[in-house]
Amino acid sequence: MSLYELSDVAKVFRKGSVEVRAVDGVDLTIEAGELVALEGPSGSGKTTLLQLLGALDRPTSGHVFFEGRDLAQLRDNELAELRLRAFGFVFQQFNLIPTLTALENVEAGLAPTGVARKELRLRSLALLGEVGLAERAHHLPAQLSGGEQQRVAIARALAVEPRVILADEPTGNLDTKSGADVIDLLAGLAAQRGSTVIVATHDAGLAARAPRRLAMRDGAIVGEPVAVS
Amino acid sequence: MFYLGYLRSELLRRKSRTILTLLGLSIGVALVIAISALSRGLDHAQKTALNPLSSIGTDLTVTLAPQQDAGGGFGNPGGFGAGREVLQANQSAITDLSKLGKPGTHFVHDFFLPGTQLTFPQTQTKQIASMNGVSAVSSGLVLSAVHQEGTVPKIVARLKTGGQRLTVTGRVRFDFTPAQRDKIRQCFQQYFQSSGVTPGQGPGGQGGGRLGRGGRIGGGGGGFLASPAAQKCLPAQVRNFAKTIVTPQQTIQQLVNPPQTNITSSTYSIAGVDPSQPNIGLVTPSLLSSGRFLTSGDDALVADSYATRKALKLGSKLDLNGTSFAVVGLVKPPLGGQTADVYVPLSKLQTLAGEKGLANVVLVRADKSSSVSQVQKEIENAFPNAQVASSKQVADQITGSLVDASKLSHRLGIALAAIAALAAFLLAALLTLSSVGKRVREIGTLKALGWKQRTVVRQVVGESLAQGVGGGLVGVALGVAVAAAIGAFGPSLTATSATGGSGGGDFGLGAITARTVTDEVPLTAPIAVEVLLIGFALALAGGLIAGAAGAFRAARLRPADALRTVE
Repeated sequence: MSLYELSDVAKVFRKGSVEVRAVDGVDLTIEAGELVALEGPSGSGKTTLLQLLGALDRPTSGHVFFEGRDLAQLRDNELAELRLRAFGFVFQQFNLIPTLTALENVEAGLAPTGVARKELRLRSLALLGEVGLAERAHHLPAQLSGGEQQRVAIARALAVEPRVILADEPTGNLDTKSGADVIDLLAGLAAQRGSTVIVATHDAGLAARAPRRLAMRDGAIVGEPVAVS
Repeated sequence: MFYLGYLRSELLRRKSRTILTLLGLSIGVALVIAISALSRGLDHAQKTALNPLSSIGTDLTVTLAPQQDAGGGFGNPGGFGAGREVLQANQSAITDLSKLGKPGTHFVHDFFLPGTQLTFPQTQTKQIASMNGVSAVSSGLVLSAVHQEGTVPKIVARLKTGGQRLTVTGRVRFDFTPAQRDKIRQCFQQYFQSSGVTPGQGPGGQGGGRLGRGGRIGGGGGGFLASPAAQKCLPAQVRNFAKTIVTPQQTIQQLVNPPQTNITSSTYSIAGVDPSQPNIGLVTPSLLSSGRFLTSGDDALVADSYATRKALKLGSKLDLNGTSFAVVGLVKPPLGGQTADVYVPLSKLQTLAGEKGLANVVLVRADKSSSVSQVQKEIENAFPNAQVASSKQVADQITGSLVDASKLSHRLGIALAAIAALAAFLLAALLTLSSVGKRVREIGTLKALGWKQRTVVRQVVGESLAQGVGGGLVGVALGVAVAAAIGAFGPSLTATSATGGSGGGDFGLGAITARTVTDEVPLTAPIAVEVLLIGFALALAGGLIAGAAGAFRAARLRPADALRTVE
């Protein structure tokens, strides 16, 4: 059983009378442990597909099977549970909670699992250490650089040891150097944990580092340029 | 607990937003509390000041006003009701100053004037007491007093008259008896026959004819009757009428011009109350602000305002024309109705004022409130000249800022409190909604992290709740402070009542007898616990409902949409 099996998945947004087919007839299979790059220009449907994969949204038509379960059939709470245990998100805008310190932001990703306060703190601190921010644990997001914020976001995404890490343009707001650092970190940590990583990017350089590259145009996957095995 | 830490961080690290929300909430709550406290304070003030009769155990007051003087004369074109009777009563009370002592000596004297209310025998109250629906009756005597002191003026002129001698000669009219008339006539005829003169031809001859009617002797000057012959015919007393009269000697004492001395005069009002009926009367023990109530001895109660004016204290002596009264209590007389500056036992005042057995006001208490109007009618029928005033009528005569404020509060108090409450509620709701609205993306992130909708809602509502509690507490403190400030620095409301008759009047008497009583009622804002709780609950409910609504709205968004929201 593949990790993901998508069949004829479509996501249609309606803006008044205009119908936007953000994802249009995607068939896709992803195996556990893969590192996949979703390539394509803005508006090609990368983010929407990533959200469908991350159970943040339901498809308008078609089926998204994750570990054999049709995500469209799951209730909100089951999806929330899945997001908590199985998925880790990294966003372009970092999406840290501005009123929480770096440490607390990591804790926010772990708290709903119900771990004890002490363990929550220890695990979060350990994760911050892994992304190299142990000494900045008590800084607020506003006091951190973009690269540091994204590293906090990565620590948060990894906190629950997710089976899949979904990163939407993780380097989009970073300079080249810190972008590269972030990708190295993400890939390295994911590899350690055996997590599947799916990265949406329009940065060909970044995409080039992924073993599997999927190109998207107008909501459809137009090809897998390189298949490394 | 992570969630509590998060809550704390949200509140503390978004200080300006939190302060704004707290401020909005607390001002709303404080407004509700302050307005309702103010409203209560006004109600309270009104109850005490504007219900003058209830504090003296009375439903109706009965007075006897003089009849309108239709015949002019003393009547005043202005329509002043004081008629002849009152004026005379008042004048009769003014004592001849010369009786106060020898000219040049110092005197202190109080004149008691009945004012504009006629007195009537105290026994008439028994008739009222026997009426249906009357449970208690008490009579009182309210007098205007003029206190004068100074030097007895030299105002008496002593004139001696009489002792003059008056000599009267001349013709006097006599009544002759028929026998005398015949004798005179015969004598005249003899004379005429002997002298050949016919009566009626000579000058004055007409006189003979008149004599027959018992009229005057003689007629024109001189003539026959003056002649010696005729004189002989007349009786001796007529012939030589001359009498000397001595007028009686007498000494007349007379008031001369108004005295120009150092007499100072001040007016106050004095009332006689029945000490044996403390529950109903012009003054009752419930009006005491200090001291004790009257006994039948030489006790006096003094109104607070008068005591202040005259520097009287408990134990002070009040000398009224030789009777020394001890001030045993200070009272705060009710506004309106029959009030006085000084209260003494009724019998004492009757003696002092020379009004023995007389009263000029009857206080009536009905056995139940529903029978008041019936009793009023009954009294009016039995005493057509009586003026019967009910509590409401007395209260209606009271004017001033208290009445205005009270009316305002009655009309607007509830509306204002409701508006303030609504404002507080809306403010809480709006502030919470806006703060939740700004956090949609954050909520989307939390959902992406795996937070369940319930957890997200709980978190946001928890924050609103905390703000509601904080805003409520600050608001309650603020409201209490405002109410206390109103009590401490607030304006005094005035209630004014004219008593003792309409202003103006004949010969300045109106000015003496009528007076206006103004009572200052300090404005307080007593706070009720339930109002505090309501204000607090409002803030809480506003925050809670709005927080929940906002949180549900945001949490129900698909996380994908929430994340798309641009902050």
